[in-house]
Amino acid sequence: MQRASKSYPAAYAGQIHANLDGQAMDSWFQAERSVNAIRPGDHAWLAFSGEEERAHIIGDFVYDGLATEEKVVYVTDAPPDRLPGVRPRHGIELRSYTDTRQLRVIPREQACLSGRGRFDPDRMLRTLEREVDAAFDQGFRAVRLTTDFSWVLNEPGRSDLSQMLGCEHQFGEAVSPSTMAMAICQVDKHACPQDELVALRDTHEVLVEVNPEFDDGILRIVRTFEPHGLRVEGELDAARHAVFAEKLSLVTHERRRIHLDFSRLRFIDLGGLNLLAHHATGLPTDDGLVLDHLPADVENVIDMVGWHRLPGLARGQERPFPGAGGMAS
Amino acid sequence: MSETFSHRVLPYDGVDDFLAGAVPFLNAGIDAGDRVLVVTGLGSEVLLREALGPGAGEVEFVDANQWYAHPSRTLADCLGDADRLCEQGRRLRVLGEPAWTGRRPLEVLEWQRVEAIVNVAFAETGAAILCPYARTLPAGVVASARRTHPETLRGEQALDNPSYVDPWAYSAMCDQEALPDAPARAERLDIVRPDLFWLRAWVTDYARRTPLAEEDLQRLLVAVTEVVTNALRHGAPPIVLRMWMEPGELVCEVKDDGFWATDSAFGLIPPRADGPGRFGLWAVRLLCSIVQIRTGKGGTTVRLRLSLPSVPAVVGV
Repeated sequence: MQRASKSYPAAYAGQIHANLDGQAMDSWFQAERSVNAIRPGDHAWLAFSGEEERAHIIGDFVYDGLATEEKVVYVTDAPPDRLPGVRPRHGIELRSYTDTRQLRVIPREQACLSGRGRFDPDRMLRTLEREVDAAFDQGFRAVRLTTDFSWVLNEPGRSDLSQMLGCEHQFGEAVSPSTMAMAICQVDKHACPQDELVALRDTHEVLVEVNPEFDDGILRIVRTFEPHGLRVEGELDAARHAVFAEKLSLVTHERRRIHLDFSRLRFIDLGGLNLLAHHATGLPTDDGLVLDHLPADVENVIDMVGWHRLPGLARGQERPFPGAGGMAS
Repeated sequence: MSETFSHRVLPYDGVDDFLAGAVPFLNAGIDAGDRVLVVTGLGSEVLLREALGPGAGEVEFVDANQWYAHPSRTLADCLGDADRLCEQGRRLRVLGEPAWTGRRPLEVLEWQRVEAIVNVAFAETGAAILCPYARTLPAGVVASARRTHPETLRGEQALDNPSYVDPWAYSAMCDQEALPDAPARAERLDIVRPDLFWLRAWVTDYARRTPLAEEDLQRLLVAVTEVVTNALRHGAPPIVLRMWMEPGELVCEVKDDGFWATDSAFGLIPPRADGPGRFGLWAVRLLCSIVQIRTGKGGTTVRLRLSLPSVPAVVGV
């Protein structure tokens, strides 16, 4: 199993094939995808760090569906105007979509609870099938399903994880061949132990994350939530200093230390390093900027210039172990 | 502490001459509580240890071949040490005897330039630097030392050097000779787009066909990006990149029609450590083995030279 391949974004898929000599082709492949790239057939996983991250992802998932006249099904006990992760947007009245049945909000009791009020995987699967059929009959070209499973993991007297894993597996079997259905399974990252989180994550073919703040195929900038900061992918040079500085300002709040995940940074020019140091010394706190997961050759250049000439920059975490990446970690 | 900076040459004829100049210089440092560094070969180290007696324990001996590894890096490291000591109210005292033999002419030139630049870079540090030059060295090397050191040490007496030249004038002299034309076999890329992503892809493609080490490739990419970015910002089109191989070296040349201000420091002085300074061209010198710059009415040429590993890298051991 080529687990390291998981950590490459879809944007660089062409290079992945070249780099791995086609290994990615014949091995199990878990794709990371931004929420605007979720397509029918995707059974996606979201382990969110908090409401801010969830609001970025589930909010886009729901509103994008409604805007493109796809059906949206949310299994939750919350009312339509208070859906988890869906913050109000100006000029959009969610209740009007429930009236036209483009938005279906199904309480857990109707969707996936047994007569005794416990999680019933079979019932969940039947709900999925029923809603996809209904969407088809209504003439929608696609249906987006989502629910937060955290409560199942915290259910009193929950046996082991196998029931949940089985459910996810069957859910994936049902969604993957579908030309209509796409689903995001949400779990609060802090709701269960790390090993369970990883096991659950691995029953999904797609890991969903926020839409990038910027992506032109050369440089890609993605917000990160835990730790707070940005992931910078690709190549950063003078042609993109301005957009990078702008996105860096976006995540600069008082009293929040900024981490920059450089694990997929292939190149940064001297002006870019200057820009980082300049930004770091202008921060309100002394925390500076933390550079996480520096690739060896990028670090080598910084070592040569000298960290002491880049005040305010701190070396963060080492590169992660292969396979430890992804959104569950 | 406001010690006066000194940079002296010690021409010597044999062991006695050498010790007569070096030992009092080192003892003065030991007595004053300086950080005393001796950069030399094993032979001189043995002689000095014997002559200094118990005082030798206060002296750090460093192998010359290691210390004089790279002109810009050595200068930056040593200046960093001198600055730190100066802040602590101490003085850096260096007896430095470069290994001149076995160096290629271009390297010799760069080390001689460093000898001149030292006078500017260390002026505020109060460091004391003494450079022994054996009279058996090629005449040109000794003559150049008299142009790059303000004073000559005879015994314990420092005398002004009549042939001393202003460091910037000396550095300009190093660049007087026109560069030979790029060979016909050189591969050429005309830089028309400001997006340097394509340039790096092209350079990578060329470099991957050579024995250049992977970490040197990243250094080259950072260096060439910096030079071309400068040319795009301050130079004039057309901007042309050429790459070719020379024995033991990969050469990457950036040419444009602009020319630099005459007061440019050419990245020869390391930026101060205590603030986000601009370190563009200086860092380029650090990242490459040798950087050659020619600028004038006929345009500007910057040649980046990277040494290739003499033995092919062993893979999979």
